[in-house]
Amino acid sequence: MTVTEWCSLALTTAGAFFFFAGTVGVLRFPDVYTRLHALTKADGLGLGLIVLGLIVRTQGWTEVCQLALIWILVMVSSATACHLVARAALGTGVRLWRRPG
Amino acid sequence: MIRRALAFAVLWSICTQGEMSSWVIGGPTVGAATLASVVLLPQRVWHWRLRGLVRFVPYFLVRSVLGSVDVARRALHPRLPLAPLLVEYPLRLQDDLARVFLVNTVSLLPGTLSAELHAEHLTVHALDGGVAGVSAELEVLEKLVAALFGTPLVDSFVKTEAARA
Repeated sequence: MTVTEWCSLALTTAGAFFFFAGTVGVLRFPDVYTRLHALTKADGLGLGLIVLGLIVRTQGWTEVCQLALIWILVMVSSATACHLVARAALGTGVRLWRRPG
Repeated sequence: MIRRALAFAVLWSICTQGEMSSWVIGGPTVGAATLASVVLLPQRVWHWRLRGLVRFVPYFLVRSVLGSVDVARRALHPRLPLAPLLVEYPLRLQDDLARVFLVNTVSLLPGTLSAELHAEHLTVHALDGGVAGVSAELEVLEKLVAALFGTPLVDSFVKTEAARA
């Protein structure tokens, strides 16, 4: 394997780790608000690292633009969706979890 | 309108890697997107200051990496360290577009999530950090966004004084 292939592998593996952590967060966190944190943040970095790992292996600039664009569009839509879900939860009176005791 | 159509066309050609046959779908899509953007945002076009951008981008990248690492750590920690709270942050940013931009960046940054945008304040949900810590973080971000959009920050105290005068 070449150096670029190793870099790509390291970056995509790190990305997959953040997706894993984000998923664990969705399953373990106690309420809708904290789960949204896990989804938007951990997955955002996970995707960013996977995109970087793929950019390392690209042949031309159109692929680089395409991958960067995918990351930006996903970040924008996840931030917007996250805000809308949180607003809907707050609007319908979903109480936030606090540590008992 | 032509500028917006052109921008959407560039986006489409990047997504399809300049494939000519894709314009059968791309043409109508670009048209619809242009129409939607003109209806939803009739007046203004995005306008960022270069100096603001140079300061904002590194801050955003570093903080969002830290935020993701922080959330991952909390999710995998056996004791699940969370102390969630809601913070009512009084907005000093007046410009609508800049406010929406702030709402979205707050959601992507460490431990904070925009819940609701009111006329004078923003409700933020945070994983931890206490009211003071979260407010201090938001203040830094609000300043950076103001510099990015080249728009002033107005204290609500000053505003009520001005309204009285």
